[in-house]
Amino acid sequence: MDEESSNPLRRMSSRTRKVAPKMVAALASSDNRTQAALTRLEALENDNTGYDIVDANDDDEASLDDEDQVYVQKKQSKGTKRKTRQAKALEARKAPRTFLELLNEANLESLPPHVPSYLKAAVGPPSSTCRRHFCTICGFSANYTCVRCATFPDKKEKKGEKGRNSQRKRWA
Amino acid sequence: MSTNNVVVLDNGGGQIKAGLGGERDPSAVVPNCLYRPPSSKKWLHPNPLNPTTHADEVDLTSVAVRRPLDRGYLINPDLQREIWSHLFSTVLHINPAQSSLLLTEPLFTLPSIQRSIDELIFEDFNFKSLYVADSPSLVHLYEASQRPDGLVSKAQCSLVVDCGFSFTHAAPVFQNFTLNYAVKRIDLGGKALTNYLKELVSFRSVNVMEETFIIDDVKEKLCFVSLDVARDLQMARKTGKENLLRCTYVLPDGVTHNKGFVKYPDQAHRYLSFADGAPSAPLETKEDMNHLNITEMAEDRKRVDLTKTEFDVTNERFLVPEMIFHPADLGMNQAGLAECIVRAVNSCHPHLHPVLYESIILTGGSTLFPQFAERLERELRPLVPDDYHVKTTTQEDPILGVWRGGSLLASSPDFEAMCVTKSEYEELGSARCRKRFFH
Repeated sequence: MDEESSNPLRRMSSRTRKVAPKMVAALASSDNRTQAALTRLEALENDNTGYDIVDANDDDEASLDDEDQVYVQKKQSKGTKRKTRQAKALEARKAPRTFLELLNEANLESLPPHVPSYLKAAVGPPSSTCRRHFCTICGFSANYTCVRCATFPDKKEKKGEKGRNSQRKRWA
Repeated sequence: MSTNNVVVLDNGGGQIKAGLGGERDPSAVVPNCLYRPPSSKKWLHPNPLNPTTHADEVDLTSVAVRRPLDRGYLINPDLQREIWSHLFSTVLHINPAQSSLLLTEPLFTLPSIQRSIDELIFEDFNFKSLYVADSPSLVHLYEASQRPDGLVSKAQCSLVVDCGFSFTHAAPVFQNFTLNYAVKRIDLGGKALTNYLKELVSFRSVNVMEETFIIDDVKEKLCFVSLDVARDLQMARKTGKENLLRCTYVLPDGVTHNKGFVKYPDQAHRYLSFADGAPSAPLETKEDMNHLNITEMAEDRKRVDLTKTEFDVTNERFLVPEMIFHPADLGMNQAGLAECIVRAVNSCHPHLHPVLYESIILTGGSTLFPQFAERLERELRPLVPDDYHVKTTTQEDPILGVWRGGSLLASSPDFEAMCVTKSEYEELGSARCRKRFFH
């Protein structure tokens, strides 16, 4: 048992252990709504990268192309040379990290206060905190918060709101 | 000899602007990404954007996109290497080993990222020498050279507002140096706006969550900055043909057209008619003249063409760019652009304040929204002390502004002396060489 714990590479999973930055923030707050809002903001920076980011060049298995022979050969070579866990872990380490991970690593908080940095350049909270609320469905100004889903339905859309929101959940 | 082999590379999160120093325009503007159509399994290089040849447009429907930059900073050097080597060999036709490079880098690039960029340039591409510039100072340089008698060049001082793809910066520049202690950033740019529009359209009409490029096009063609949000919301609420804001966008069908388009391009600009209160008179007379024609067309327009997939946008057109001015509406805990500028100015020496307010330079692709500058001035005025003038200058071409500044710098006689050479890099390493650029 002791030996195992002393060798970190041995038991390492090949999955990249990413604690998504939004999760860090979300875990810090206990409020479900804040969590949802943070997730949403995070989503604004997404690209539609498709479904395989790391294995982008490895999806030969799915090919039904005319290069069938090459395909068979490739498959064989893959079959004979299975990747070890260690190799996989190394590969995962090479995979691109997100900017927020790099930012955490840079440890900018440790800089003396007079040094300008990425964190200090952020503009900071607005002076007036009043937020205008727009209805999620129609986009017009909304006057109150829906109790169930924390969106801001316009009066006109109130009827439709329940239905649509349940629909949205189904999509998600 | 020294001037014509400097490669100027404005490596933006959205587009790479690349060309040779000394020229007026970059030889290539390429999206900084690889894309993969759903039918293919290979990642492809996008074609250089060229305003003259839109005919050979590739089908960008539902493509997956990989970008080497995240939030404006390089996170995937391998991908960037692939994109650059394609750019250098097949688009620019240059030999890096015999060229110098002027590269733009976002402000406050992390040391780890700087290191990987240096590695990329000196170890993978073997460039002869490198100069790293930040975009605000290049924009300042270009504007100062354009108007030698203007305030920007006389005072050697300006406030560059760069509203680009990944984020928005308000950066004071003094004597060609960006005052980095005063720079303020909003974490919103063109990419977030496109994604926001994507979300709105997908929730309200057609699911376009996969269609980054199409929605980019919708944003560029239809979005505008509202001068009076409350009034425009009222306008957008109207039904039928009274609604001057509604616009229809036709999605590509992959058969007859590979690119989406605005169904009635004349509809797209009607909001301009009520820019100041009531619709202007000349427009009305014109409407009278074409009254018959218009009613006929309106009849025609009511019909929905079932062979085409299309969607309407109304208030989304101005609520999307609105977020730059009020990020709080999105639930973001950040101040809007006007306040951002005020904070940037207030971090500078008080003697600079009047000059900075009077020489605000707008650059970056997201400032291309119609009425952007006007709205900004209107919001800025109440926040700025009465005895200061507020004046904004829009760049001739906000997308290429940074590149042109770089081209200018690259053709200056002492450019070579400012560079870090490959041998210096090999001797001193990345961190020591970086000190030369004063970032």
